[in-house]
Amino acid sequence: MTASASPIRALVRQEQRRQASRMAIAAASAAGAAAAAVALLGLSGWFLAGAAVAGASGSAAIMAFNYLLPSAAIRFLAIARTGLRYSERLVGHAAALKALAEIRPTLFAGLAAAPVDQALGLSSGEATAHLVQDVNAIETLFVRQSAAWAGVASILVAMALAALVNPWAALVVLAAFAIQVSLGAWIGRNRSRDPAGEALRAAGALKDGVQAYAAASAELRCYGLVEAAVDDLMRFDARLGAARRRSWNAMAEMGALQPALTGVAAAGVLALCSHASPAMAALAGLATVVALEGAGGLLQAFDQAGAVQVAAERLDGVLAAPPVQWGTVQADWRPGITLGLGDQVHRLNPGEHWAVTGPSGSGKTRLLEILVALRDAGPDEILLGGRRPDALGPQACRALFAYAPQDARMISGTVRENLALADPGASDAAMLAVLGVAQLAEKIARLPEGLDAWIGEGGARLSGGERRRLSLARALLRPAPWLLLDEPTEGLDAATEACLVAALASHLARTGQGLILVSHRQAPLGLCDRRIDLSAQPDSDLPPATSESDSEADLAARDHARGVVMVG
Amino acid sequence: MLRALTPHAAPPGGGSLLRTAVDPATGLMRLASAAVVVDTVIAVVFAAALAGAIVRLPRGPTVFGPWLILLAAAALARALCGWAALRCSAQAALIVKSNLRRQVLTAAFGALAGRALAGETAAAAIDDVEAIDGYVVRYLPARAAASVGPIVILACAALASPIAAGLMLATLAPFILLMILAGTAAAEASRRQLDALTRLSGVFADRVRALPLLLAFQAEDRATEQVARAARQVSVRTLAVLKIAFVSSAGLEFFAALSVALVAVYAGFSLLGLLPFNLPEGLTFERALFVLALAPEFYAPMRRLAGAYHERQLGEAAAENLQALLAAPMVAVAQTAGPTAPPAIQFTKVVAGFADEPDLRIGPIDFTAAPGSITALMGPTGSGKTTLLRLLVGEAALVSGTLAVDGQTLTEAGAFTPSIAWAGQAPAILPGGLGWNIALAAPGSSAGAIERAASQAGLAEVILRRGGLDADLDERGGGLSGGERRRVGLARVFLKNAPILVLDEPTADLDSESEAAMIVAIRQASRGRTVLMATHSERLAAIADQVVRL
Repeated sequence: MTASASPIRALVRQEQRRQASRMAIAAASAAGAAAAAVALLGLSGWFLAGAAVAGASGSAAIMAFNYLLPSAAIRFLAIARTGLRYSERLVGHAAALKALAEIRPTLFAGLAAAPVDQALGLSSGEATAHLVQDVNAIETLFVRQSAAWAGVASILVAMALAALVNPWAALVVLAAFAIQVSLGAWIGRNRSRDPAGEALRAAGALKDGVQAYAAASAELRCYGLVEAAVDDLMRFDARLGAARRRSWNAMAEMGALQPALTGVAAAGVLALCSHASPAMAALAGLATVVALEGAGGLLQAFDQAGAVQVAAERLDGVLAAPPVQWGTVQADWRPGITLGLGDQVHRLNPGEHWAVTGPSGSGKTRLLEILVALRDAGPDEILLGGRRPDALGPQACRALFAYAPQDARMISGTVRENLALADPGASDAAMLAVLGVAQLAEKIARLPEGLDAWIGEGGARLSGGERRRLSLARALLRPAPWLLLDEPTEGLDAATEACLVAALASHLARTGQGLILVSHRQAPLGLCDRRIDLSAQPDSDLPPATSESDSEADLAARDHARGVVMVG
Repeated sequence: MLRALTPHAAPPGGGSLLRTAVDPATGLMRLASAAVVVDTVIAVVFAAALAGAIVRLPRGPTVFGPWLILLAAAALARALCGWAALRCSAQAALIVKSNLRRQVLTAAFGALAGRALAGETAAAAIDDVEAIDGYVVRYLPARAAASVGPIVILACAALASPIAAGLMLATLAPFILLMILAGTAAAEASRRQLDALTRLSGVFADRVRALPLLLAFQAEDRATEQVARAARQVSVRTLAVLKIAFVSSAGLEFFAALSVALVAVYAGFSLLGLLPFNLPEGLTFERALFVLALAPEFYAPMRRLAGAYHERQLGEAAAENLQALLAAPMVAVAQTAGPTAPPAIQFTKVVAGFADEPDLRIGPIDFTAAPGSITALMGPTGSGKTTLLRLLVGEAALVSGTLAVDGQTLTEAGAFTPSIAWAGQAPAILPGGLGWNIALAAPGSSAGAIERAASQAGLAEVILRRGGLDADLDERGGGLSGGERRRVGLARVFLKNAPILVLDEPTADLDSESEAAMIVAIRQASRGRTVLMATHSERLAAIADQVVRL
């Protein structure tokens, strides 16, 4: 991918332009602070040396020595260095924070517009954590930029002061700086970048390994293999540790550059200044020492360049697809649905209530996700009002459905914010009505903040059952022609489930919505008069244990014959 | 920033974990600390060489030459010290992290096993261990340098000029006062903002995580607005905190600059003899230059320590997480050897759960598996089939009721692991040969026994194709199909002479042909064993003597 095609770099450039004045102030402050630091020590040395010479030459020389100006300048530089440094940090961070405040929503909009399979891929904790880390890495592009200006400014001041004594001394300072920068960049490129990537890979392999073994932990314990598994995983720990150590060693080399070059350069500058007065020699020598120290900040930027590059590439991967424009459909469109699944074809007319059953892994949830355009249809022939979802576009598809997913996902926020996803303009009365259907009205009424109660990160303050019912209430609030419910009563006790199913039945009768229900529980299945059974395996050469004609009663009768215990 | 400079009580838990974790690397950390302290001493030599060289410049290269050589040598020695310190602490971090990682991994198969998100929790713990890196490599040596460095500098400066040393020391008192004031104000400001900031900074991650939901409800535009609003508020509020927080770093800068300026002005006036009072110390040009060159070094260790503040915060937060994880109770281990003949397994009003999920309860369950019988547990995902099986190996908590094997209760036994052969959905394959992997179930088995077990499990064809039992498997069995891996799991069952066989979804995701073949092998493995199996497959359940529906 070329630099110009990188969407995240383009976004960063745009924000850098927008924050140009702040970044210029931060850079100027950094440069000023660095220059002041160099001048402060240089001038102090010059002042001391001058004073020593004057002091030794008797009272006339003392009277002639202008001590007011340098001593005032010293105080001024001390204060200027502090103020400029404060301004650099504050303005630099302001630029970064304001730029990130623009980049985050743009990035989010980009993610939302990306192909749908990416949306499902990003919803795992691991993937989200990666994304957040990458965005944070981009932030350093704004904060670190002033380090370069600080380095250049300190070197320029030191060169100017050295040049007052001997132009060759200025060249020595420049050469030391050039060596420091080019060796630093070389180390960054050749010794820091590889271990950074290797550490990332090793950590990934270690996590994959842990997850694989954790899935077999009971087996490991039965055969006494826990230690062997840990030993196996520690190979990746060794790889990760070695990679990190290589990174630190590269940093140690970078860190050694600065004092080594400082000493050699200072000795060189002093040797070249031996013909000058001690005052001027002190000025050049001390300025050289401070300037090369000040340029050290640049090295850190080299060390981080690799990480920023990796982060930018990953973000580009997420944002790469161009958004597609889709046509629109009528707002009150209430189409029927045709599902061609394998050799079964079902026609779902508006307002009908359908149950989808089948063992886990048979694709019930997948079917609902296809309908709400969170997944590509694949080989199945699915038509909405006679049109294919990929021809309609995701927005037109989604407008047809109110979806309560199996994982009952919540956004971190209040009850109201979660319900408002379904209908931003809903009144309190409407919200309480759907909470009533979901058998949650009482629970919410008991909370001191009511609808404005904070439900924790991802709804963590609610129990699993409460989350599920809130998710159901949210779906009921959305005025869509079809309601898609995935295991809405899972984990409820029988009494609550019965109340909920009854309330849901009258709600459906009132709204006339169609229903597609995935459930393994009997009570909600009673809402449906038609059924799609996904357990039929047409390619099976053995007689399937559960055929389409199998009713729950048949199943129960066969269980009974074998001595079955029903629990729950 | 203040907290980086003043020793304070370690956070609950995390601190003690960090202390014990660093123990095995004490020697290396001492070396690293020694290197940074030596670095400070050489800084004094550098300052002396600089002053000596400048003073002797007019007396010709033969006089100033050795001083310049000393100057360059001191600088190279400083480079060497810094380099050695970082290498030592990086090596120490390697040891500390490996040590912690081994504990975390062991916990992953112990304390964490059976948790709903054991794998993900373990993965997060692996990141936490990595966050200790900067703490060990950068913060600890910086702390050592900051506790010794300023004193060394001050003492050496006092040898040359007690008054200059006094001036440096005098800047320290207001500096500490400012740190306390700014630190308190910053802490207060961030405390007030912390809750709101944590919530707001989480909005982006939260909305990304909820993206499928937002798309389904066509709420992405509003979510984008929320992300934008939260991001803007984060920037405003963070800046308000930073305005105060940066005061402490500005204070550090200011007093560092001030100590240079005060020393320079005092020494200058003293050399001019313009001080209004008479001083006994008789400052020479060389000594004046020496203390001037030392002045910036006085504050340098404290500045480096402030620079490592972030590493300290990350390390301590991670240590706190790890401490909580490692303090969690380990799973039960078997106390007795258990039965040798197929036993009866009796579930009486069993309620199972997890320590970390008080809401999640399975049961009550009542059933008895007769000796030598096959029992199938059936029920939808999440109904607790696997949890019941995990009770037997001590990986789930028995909340109430009794689980007994031949009359011996789970509470007495702790776990029944020695009597169980377990075959799951994804059998663990360790790097090594196929035969060796099977023999893990019963170390010391003869080659003949292994071969018999393998062919009983239907692995004969695989062995032929791979060129014998000794053929190496690639990384964690990557080259085996799902069905073949499960046959390895079954071969272990045939090899281990265990009276109880537990099968966790042994035919999930298999096509119907492989399922049929697997069912035949399972039926064979069940002979002479009491079998519990969790399954969704009615075809597999058909071989059971009893079906328990959850």
